[in-house]
Order: sequence, then C-alpha cells, then structure tokens
Amino acid sequence: MSNTADLSLLQPVLDEYAGVKGSLITILQSAQEIYGYLPQEVIYHVAQATGSSPAHVLGVATFYTQFRFKPVGKYLILLCKGTACHVNGSDMIAKTIYETLGITDGETTEDGLFSLTFVACLGCCSLSPVMLINDDTYGSLTPEKVKSIISEIQAKEAAV
Amino acid sequence: MITITINGKVCKCNEGEYILKVAQDNGIDIPNLCNDDSVAVYGACGLCQIEVLDDGHGKALPKLMRACATKAQDGYVVSYDTERVNRSRKVALELLMSDHDGDCVAPCHLNCPAGTDIQKYLKQISGGDYHGAVETIKEAFPIPASIGRVCPHPCEKNCRRANVEQPLSIAFLKAYAADKDLADGTYKPKCKADSGKKVAIVGGGPAGLTAAFFLRRSGHSVTVYDAMSKMGGMLRYGIPAYRLPKDILERECQEIKSLGVEFVNNCKIGKDVTLEQLQNDNDAVIVANGAWKSMNMRVEGEELEGVVGGIDFLRNISSGEGERPDLSGLTVAVCGGGNTAMDACRSAVRCGADKVYVVYRRTRDEMPAEDIEIEEAIEEGVDFKFLTNPAQIIGEGGKVKQMKLQVMQLGEPDASGRRSPVPVEGKFEYIDVDKVIMAIGQSIEASGFDALEKTRKGTIAADETTFMTSVDGVFAVGDATNRGASIAIEAIGEANKCAAVVDSYLAGNLTAYRKPFVSKRDVKDIDFSVYDKKDRIKMPARPAEERKRDFNEVYLGIGDEEKVQSEAKRCLECGCHDYGDCRLIKYANICEIDPARFAGVKNNNPVERKLVSIERNPNKCILCSLCVRVCDEVAGKGILGLVGRGFGTVIKPEFNDESVISACAQCGKCVEACPTGALKLLK
Amino acid sequence: MSDTIINVGQGSCGIAAGAGKVKKVLDEKLAGSGINVGIVGCIGMCWLEPIVDVYENGKLHRLVKVNENSAEEIAAAVSSGDFAALSKYEITADDKDFLDQQTRIALRNCGVIDPESIEAYINAGGYKALEKVVTTMTQQQVIDEIKTSGLAGRGGAGFPTWFKWNAANQSAGETKYLICNADEGDPGAFMDRAVIESDPHTLIEGMLIAAYAIGASEAVVYVRAEYPLAIVRLKKAIAQAKQAGYIGKNIFGTNFSCEFTIKAGAGAFVCGEETALIASLEGERGMPRLKPPFPAQKGYWQKPSNINNVETFANIAWIINNGGAAFAAMGTENSKGTKVFALTGKIKRGGLVEIPMGKTLRDVIFGIGGGIKEDKQFKAVQMGGPSGGCIPEQLLDTVIDYKELSATGAIMGSGGMVVMDETTCMVGMAKFFLDFTAKESCGKCVHCRIGTKRMQEILTRIVEGGGKEGDIELLEELCSAVKEGALCGLGQTAPNPVLTTIKYFRNEYEAHINDKKCPAHECRELISYSIDSDKCRGCTLCAKKCPAKAISGEVKAPHAIDPEVCIKCGQCATVCRFGAVKVD
Repeated sequence: MSNTADLSLLQPVLDEYAGVKGSLITILQSAQEIYGYLPQEVIYHVAQATGSSPAHVLGVATFYTQFRFKPVGKYLILLCKGTACHVNGSDMIAKTIYETLGITDGETTEDGLFSLTFVACLGCCSLSPVMLINDDTYGSLTPEKVKSIISEIQAKEAAV
Repeated sequence: MITITINGKVCKCNEGEYILKVAQDNGIDIPNLCNDDSVAVYGACGLCQIEVLDDGHGKALPKLMRACATKAQDGYVVSYDTERVNRSRKVALELLMSDHDGDCVAPCHLNCPAGTDIQKYLKQISGGDYHGAVETIKEAFPIPASIGRVCPHPCEKNCRRANVEQPLSIAFLKAYAADKDLADGTYKPKCKADSGKKVAIVGGGPAGLTAAFFLRRSGHSVTVYDAMSKMGGMLRYGIPAYRLPKDILERECQEIKSLGVEFVNNCKIGKDVTLEQLQNDNDAVIVANGAWKSMNMRVEGEELEGVVGGIDFLRNISSGEGERPDLSGLTVAVCGGGNTAMDACRSAVRCGADKVYVVYRRTRDEMPAEDIEIEEAIEEGVDFKFLTNPAQIIGEGGKVKQMKLQVMQLGEPDASGRRSPVPVEGKFEYIDVDKVIMAIGQSIEASGFDALEKTRKGTIAADETTFMTSVDGVFAVGDATNRGASIAIEAIGEANKCAAVVDSYLAGNLTAYRKPFVSKRDVKDIDFSVYDKKDRIKMPARPAEERKRDFNEVYLGIGDEEKVQSEAKRCLECGCHDYGDCRLIKYANICEIDPARFAGVKNNNPVERKLVSIERNPNKCILCSLCVRVCDEVAGKGILGLVGRGFGTVIKPEFNDESVISACAQCGKCVEACPTGALKLLK
Repeated sequence: MSDTIINVGQGSCGIAAGAGKVKKVLDEKLAGSGINVGIVGCIGMCWLEPIVDVYENGKLHRLVKVNENSAEEIAAAVSSGDFAALSKYEITADDKDFLDQQTRIALRNCGVIDPESIEAYINAGGYKALEKVVTTMTQQQVIDEIKTSGLAGRGGAGFPTWFKWNAANQSAGETKYLICNADEGDPGAFMDRAVIESDPHTLIEGMLIAAYAIGASEAVVYVRAEYPLAIVRLKKAIAQAKQAGYIGKNIFGTNFSCEFTIKAGAGAFVCGEETALIASLEGERGMPRLKPPFPAQKGYWQKPSNINNVETFANIAWIINNGGAAFAAMGTENSKGTKVFALTGKIKRGGLVEIPMGKTLRDVIFGIGGGIKEDKQFKAVQMGGPSGGCIPEQLLDTVIDYKELSATGAIMGSGGMVVMDETTCMVGMAKFFLDFTAKESCGKCVHCRIGTKRMQEILTRIVEGGGKEGDIELLEELCSAVKEGALCGLGQTAPNPVLTTIKYFRNEYEAHINDKKCPAHECRELISYSIDSDKCRGCTLCAKKCPAKAISGEVKAPHAIDPEVCIKCGQCATVCRFGAVKVD
C-alpha cells in the first residue's frame, strides 16, 4: 500500500481518543478535516490504532454520507434536497449545476475546483432552494443566480 | 417450563426462549435466512414473521413479530402461515429475488423438457465418470444412448457457450457416456420396496418406457402394453436405423425390463384387451399410445395407389423388421418439412429411389426439421422443391403419375413468427412421380379409448398438471394428448412428471406437478469476453455416397475420451452449485413467488476470490450478514464487513489483499453459514 | 443613548439571508457611538430575514428584510436618534400578526435573548427550574410533574415523556445515560436547529432536569453534522454552564452530578431512530436493532438510557417553573401543551410557529401563515416528513392532535409542515420522499432495503410516463408489506407518503398512468409547451430566453415551439407577458 497521506498529522487525534470507547466516528471526522477525505491508508491506520478490523472501520465510514473517499474540489457545493427545497424547485438547481459544471451528486469537476453533494436538509427551508458552498449559504436560488454564483467563483479562480 | 402453540402444535419450552428456536426444536420449519444459533439475533430477513394470535391472556398482538427475536411466553398461540404473514413473507422473498442475479440451474437444463441435470453430467463426463453421468441422466429418463442420438437437443439451443463461440455438443456427449455405460458395468438404479400397487401403461414408446421406469423405481408393479411386436414405439418404428441402431434401443429397453417391468407386446387396446379391463386390474393406467396416423393433405388424388403416409412408409423400413421396399428406378416425392419428412426422404434414397423430391411450401429457413438433417439429405442427393405446395396428384390407371404443384411466395409473418406462404395466383409446376409420401403431420388412432374425453384436435384431453384424463385413475401423456405429436424428449418430460403424480395418486395424495420457480440471469448482464475460445467438437459422419446405400449409422462416434472430456470441459457451469441446498430458493418455491412484478435495478458487483479458497459472488448475496457475523463472532477474525448502506450495501473483505490473505484462516465458516450460493468453497 | 439596544437575528437562515453582513455594517457605523450591536437567535419569521430589532427605551422597532444599504441608513437614524426614519423598514401589522397568534413555550427565548450569553438566559429566568428540581424535588416528584403536564415526545412518535423517564428511572443499574436526539433529519423541519442556535441553555437545563429524574450522571447530545452553528453555540453554552456550576459535580451543592458531551452525527437519517442512534453513538454503523429490549432497559453501552428530542427538553424548564397543570391546560384531550412547527413551502409567511394543540391546520396555514404564495390554490400540506403524509384541502379543519392527525394517514411528526399548491405534483411528492427513504435506508432489513427501492422505481416510472395499469395496486400491496415487515420505524413508516397520496390524490396517479398527463404540470416527461398564436404578439422574448433554441418566429408574428427540441424548462412561460405559452 502506498502511503501518500502524512499519518503523523492524525496522531494528536488518536492520542486524544485513545481508550475512549465509541470514538470511531469522531476520529474519522477529525481525520477528514485533516485530509479533506478518508484515504485508504488513513482508514487502515485508524483501524490499527483503535484495535478494530479495517473491514469494520470501512463499514462504519461508508455508512455515513459525511465521509468521502476521494479528494473533493476546492469548492464543495452542498445542495439541499429537503422537502421545502424540492417544492420550490431544487431539481432545477441540480440540473443547472449539471449543465454548468457537468457534475452531479458525489462528483468532482475535472479541474478539481467543484464537488457536488446532495444533502437531506440544511434546515434553511424558508430560503429554499438553498445551497452551501464551503461555509457560505446561498438561498432563494434560481438557475440564473446559480450560474452567476458559479461564474463569479470561476472568475475569481482564473484571476489567481 | 412453559407451553406455547405453534401452528396447532403444542410445544414445551423454557421461558424466554426465542420462538424460532422452539419451533426448530419441535421440527417446525419457520422460514428464515439470517438466523444462526452461533451468532446473535439479527432480524434482517423478515421471513420468520409470525402472528401472535393469543398472548396467553386471550389477546392477539397487533403487529407481526419476528420469531427469531420474540421470546416465548406461557400460553402464546402463534402461527407462521396466516394469510397476513404469508403476504408479507411472499413480498420479502419477491423483493430478495428481484435483486438476485444468479442462475439456479443452467439454461440448458431449463430448456430440457425432461429437466435433465446437464451441467452435472457434463462435469461427470469431464472427469471420466460415465456411470455417474448416466446415473444423473437416469434421474430424468431411462434411455440416454437412444435419446443422445436422436434428440433435436433444445438444451444446445440454450447453451450459453454459444455466446463465446458455439454451444457444447451435449447430445452426443450424452450418447457417448451412455454407450460407455452400456458397454461395461451398466448403471442399475435401485427400486423401492414393493408398494403392492399395480400400474398399466399403454404404449412402449419413449413416454411409456419412461413412466414405467420411474414407477417401477418407486416400487410399483408395472406392465407395459404395446401393439407392436417390440418396445420402443416411434424410436423403433419411426426413426430410421441409420440414426438410431436398433440394437442400442433394444439394450436400453432390456435395462428397463430388468428392473422388473413386464412387457406385453402385440397387444392392441380395444382389440386384445380393453381399457376398462386395464382399469379393473390396476390401480392406475397411463395412456401413452402416441400418434401413429399420418395426416392427409386433402388434395385431389390422395386415394391413388402409390400415395402413402410418412409414418406408414417408415414403419417397416425403420424397424428393420420384414421387407424393406425396393424403390429402384422410381421417383419419389415427400411432402412436408419436418423431421419425419427428412427421415422419409433419406430412407427413400436408401431404398434405391432414382430421384427423391421434398415438396415444401416455405423456404429452407422456415423448415421445422433439424438443419443437420436437411444438410445431410442434400448431401445424399435429395432435391428440395421449396415454395411449392401439392395442388393435385394426377394418376394414370389408378396409380400416381404426376404432381401438380402450386407455386408459393412468403407473405407476412404469422402468429408463430414464421412467414406464411401464399399461393402465386395461377402459377403451377408439374413433376413426374411414382410415389408420394405425405409427411405433413401425425394424428392419433383413438379407437379403444372412447371412454376418454378428446380435445378439438381429436387428441386425448389430459390435465396439464396432473395428466389425469376425464376418467379417474387414467392418465395420459405424450403425442396422444392435448397438443399432439412433438419430439421424444417432450413426451419423456411429461412422462417423468406424470410418474411422480401417479406415485402420489397411488399413495392417496394426488399432487399436481408445479413448475419450480428458479432464478435466471439475463444474458445481457454476462461478460463472455473473459472466456478463451475453443471450438465445438465435430461429429464425424460417413461420406454421403457411402452412407446413402445402407441403413447403418451415419455417425462414426464423437471421438476419443480425451476429446470428449475436453468438450465437456467447455461447459461454463452456469447453474448454481448451491441449488440443492439453497434456502432462498426453497422458501421461494414454498411461497409461490412472482418476483417479476417487482423487477427493477439489480446490484452488480464483481465475483471475487480475495479469500483465496472461497469464491464470493455478491450478486447472489441477500445481505443476511451471516458471513460477516460468523467471521467476527465465531471465527474472531472480522475480515468481512458491510460497505455502504441501503440498496447498494455490499459485503466485502477489507481492501488490503495481503492482510486478508494472512488473516483468513480459510476455516470456511462463512461458506457454511451462507444460506444461498453467494459463497463457494473452491476445491 | 445607552437606552438604545440593537439586536441582529443570527440564526442559520438569518445569516444565509445576509444577517452577518448587516451586523458588520451596523458594527462599523455605530462603532464609538456607545450603542452596542448584539445578537439574538432566530425569531422564526424567516421570510423577513435579516431582522434587526431596535429598542428605543424599551420600545421595539422590528426592522425587516434589512440589507447592507438599509443597515447604513438604520445606523444613521439610530445614532442621530431619528427613530421615525426607521418606520419604512418596520414590520407590517399583518406580518406582526404571525407572532401575535402564537403561544411560545419551547421557543420562548428564541430571537429574544443572546444565545451566546448565559447571563441573558439567567436574566430570562434560566436555571431556576433546575435549582428547584435538584434542591427541592425528588426524582418521583419530577416525573409526576411531567406526568401531570401530559407532555409527549415531540420527535414524532408522541410517546408520553414521563413514561420513558419512569422506565429508565425504574431500570436497575448504577450507570444510566440521558441522551438528546438532535439528529433532526426530517427534510423540511428545523425547529430543533432553531432552539439550539437560539436558546441552547433551555436544552441544557431541560436535559439536566431529566438526567436528575432518571438518575443519569452523563448526558449526551447527538446532533446533526449539518448544523455547524448549532454545534458551536451548544459547545459554548455547555462550557458556560460548566463554568457556572450547572454542569459537573455537585450541582447546586447537592449530590447530583452530571457531565455533558456532544457527538456529531455523520449524515444518516436513520440515526434518528433510537437504537440506530445508540449504535452511532457507540461508533458503529447506525443500523437499528430489534426492540425489545428497549433503551430504557438496555441502551447506550447496554445501560438504561433515556432519549428525548430537543423540543421535548425545551419544554421542561417551563413546566417545572409554571407547573404541569399550566401546560396541560393547553391543548386537547389527547395532546397537551404547545407544538412547534416549521411552516414552509408555498406559503406566504413561512417560519417557526408554536401554537397550542387543538388549533386547526387551517388556523396555522391561513391564519398564521397567511395563505398560499401568489394566492394560488392550496392542494395539500405534508406533515411528518418521510414518515408522514399529505393532508388534502377537505381535511384542513383537522385539529392538531396526535390522534386526529394519525387518523388522516399523516402523523404529527417532529413538526415539518410543508405546504403545497396546485403546481405541486402529488405523485412527484411521493417519489420525492421515496427517493429520500431509499437513499437513507440502512440496508439491514429486506422489506425496507429493497422495498423502498422498488417503490421509488415504480413511482419514477409513473412520473416519467411509463406507469402501467396495476401500478397503483402494486404500490399499495408493497406498501402494506413494508409497513408490516420492516425492522424499524423508518421502514415501517416509509410507505405513508405513498399511501396518503394514493388515498387523497388517486386521480393524479390515474392521470399519470392512464392519460400520461401530470395535472400539476410538473412532471416534465408528461407535459408539453406550445404558444397560443392568438395571444402571441411576436415580442421574441421567449425565443431569446429559450436555452434550447426551440422557439422560432418572425418579429411581430406568432412564435412556435419545436416539441422535439424543447427541454420543458418553462422559461418561456415565465417570461411571456401575454400569457401565450400554454402547458398541457
């Protein structure tokens, strides 16, 4: 197995939760914060450090939608697919993103700039349809609005 | 101790025992797929649902409960097959099957009307176990050396190997194994102890012989009555010796006789004995008297001397009994495009005819006869007049002289998908002939069977699932019944099913035949590119010029053992190794499921062998997780795990191959625990 | 000037609407003026966000839909004392009515106090109930008080709270756990998020009281990872409460000790189910297990555990302070107290609504919510999320009561109330929920894993025009088997959205299947756009806007849509000023 991730970064987390039972999900969440996703070697390392089998750790990680197993784009779009968003047209927003960026749920653009994940509900129903790009919430979306938000980011990145 | 009642059976057990366990201890099989005593209760499959009709205090519980996780309480009255439970269980099984991508049995096996376990005997042949192969075949029918030679082998039409290059030569492999078996150390099936019941079988053809064979094996005393002097029916009197040497057929008849079946020949029903007499003297009668009458063409001149029916023409020729006609110097026209027409025209050639025509109203592509038969007939010099239909037989002095043929063309496809011929208005052809053989179909000779109700076609009406006629205790199978004449293996298939029904009837518990439900793969989902191409074995034949002069067997034998075994090894082994033990299919059949109504997307994951000696096929997995739990809780390894969630959940070993290999003790506990064929121990 | 107070509503959706930027402007412009700009949580009038509350000597000016520009004007007006200038931003009487019609108990502090300040909570009477409980009441007295209140679990199932507390209390064992289910997963529900973000100490106090009642010394909050702000505020609040001695050893000098931890969920709706939640807390796959044993007997780490949801806990302190009888005085025979709803969808005034049980759905939707957006026709209200159902117009007078709502086929649920109008396809709605449950099914039991998938597939083919005769009956049969056979609540209730839509909107199913039409004109495969040549003036606007270039026509001559090219996006209909675009 090729080790590409720096496993030492995880050590403080493993130390903090050493012997604290039931911490697997918390450790994996911290690991994802560190690496941006859960590389295989990290899962393997967590298994060894927590004394559980890698199959078990992988089983837990793949159960939860929060965990990712591939690197994500610089901008992670969380598109809300909650009921209110549905009623107010989130399908159209998903379609617009697909038409603009060519990605759908769980995919990343080839340039590595954007990733898209559908989420159950962001709890901002009154602003529906809603999406979250990294830490910024965008509400009352329309196809035009989405296109301009994306092109703004693209322009910003192109300028760098 | 407390007492609970499961489906009317009173069971003593300890307080707090799970109801499923109590049922098992009392010999009651509540369906379940995810439970195993060695691991903790899981409750995933939902098959073990029960209805608690009385909680011991006179009240029913509102919800269905899982027997695996419901603890027995004193006075519980439960049922695992109320209508409500059955509904829920049936849907669960249908849902499971709708996401199950596997073949219970191989497609060849499915397409064999007799249900022969072809995959199994091919495996036996590939390992040189010919007696074993014959034993396997004889679970379906008793005359493999004969059938292996004459069967149009629907099995090969379904052989998946055709998607790689060509189908296996299944029929000839069967004949090879059967010849080997006959030559030395012939397999002798065992018969059950005498039941004291008597069965009469009318007709000693393939169907009658098959029924006799199985009923004798079930311990009944069986007598076969046949109008002809020897047994074999159409195999003897219809199929020419160049296709089926009669000594081989005779050997196989004698094998059946040797089990204690009584043969009575030259006995015609209605003349030598009546059906009523047979009924009176026996506990059951099976009518399998075949279809021995050639159908007329209904054209002018049919009554002329020189016009004969195909079946009548073949009778003496095929059996080799009596004189064969000498046709030298004559021109013969055979009308029809089926296998009987081919047998007739090739026999006519062998009887020395100068010229033999086949008159057929469609083209070669539409001919129902086997292609190889047509091919060999052409090699032997038969002249095919396609797209012509007899319009009139013209005579001279009461004898056939000429045929007027209506020229035809192909029109729109009919209901069967074949393009139907339509006459070209006013266009005729004439051929000079001395003899006309009508091989356009067969019908039954029904005299002596007046008591039995007939179909509109004049065949004996028999129930499709019990084979019972309108008269209680009289069953009927084969060419004489319902749709009429077909190929031998069809009649055999009916006969083996009928034998089971009659056996149940004799036991006082008539059980109709029910086609078992099996899981089938869609051929579209299979990647055949992974197989190396290897040509089908060829059956060598004698040269046409030589063979057309005699009635000796056309074929020279498929080859040496090495070639035969290597041909058998081409088998893709499509059927599931676990079919006999699979609990999923067992319950699917008990519950009479119909998963097609829930057909939808199926999971598709690669079959893999990461566990070295264990092959894992996730497409047959039902996610009961027993392998995961057993590996973890019993073997203490935890190598397997659930990955993902919901519909796409899949069981996988951990991703690091090396550590899997070092961790897995190859203990096989996972395979043992698997209720389906998803896991397989490689030898 | 120090009598002027400014608070900016800073809930998640307020921030999403721009409240952060507004606060920044106010902070900058009022820097050095002596006027402090504070924050409050979410008042629940989401359609008016961002909201700025200005107190002029105690007199409230509630300014709505504030943006960066208006924030500058507001700052100028406030610093110059020209409060009259604020009037153009003030909430209208109509909109104000939204709050006036409510009775707020669980939400009593939401949008009123600073959620990041324990002092604000204490000033509002906070932690008095806890003190009363631990210093003057026995465990049994607490349980009895809750019993008197008639409080039932607000998470969805509506099980009597006292009963669960009592069961956990009665379970033998030294170690017990008190767990808060803040895994608010129903799409369309955000009450719990609002409470944690706006008034986290209410939750903590309610939990501490419950912990005392059952004898737990450890409390755990399981909160959705999708609620980052809630987690931040809750963490802060726990630290403050610990600092203040409300959490930790010997609370109020008594023998009662309790520690708090937060565990973030990782994205799995099924973890709202008690046994799955426990599995997740233990770091496992969140797969439910069979009950019994119930968590009150064997729960977290196999110890007696009690699980309630956020809203349930948010009522506790109020009940202790005001008495169970006061709570029970509100509501109906079967359902006591108030209930919070997240009113969303095609509604004029969407937001958080807390009302006494016993009001009708019409009261909420047309009274408080002001009716349907753009005055379209009401069609149905969805309650209970993926476990609930759609209630049609003829049942709008159904009273809010556990039993009454269940009788409709929907459920009270956790409080999501999504309003739908004539443009919402009910088959599409059922499909939406089955998309959700199929995605969220844990995959353990057959009925749910494959059953929800097949329901989703059948519904998909119906909305895409491939519905077959018999599909409705097939769905009904599948629904009933899944209801009977699924292992946990998620699966057992997954058929509800399908069953209720079939029950009340069977004609829509039939139109899709038999006529290949979508009466709501929502299902794209089943609609077609065309231009009425009598109405079209040839303005060319639609042709310009059409992303598929499907519209052609000469200027000032009627245009036409090529159905082969049309992608049915509906842009033309939106831009046409003459109503010439027809949808069939």
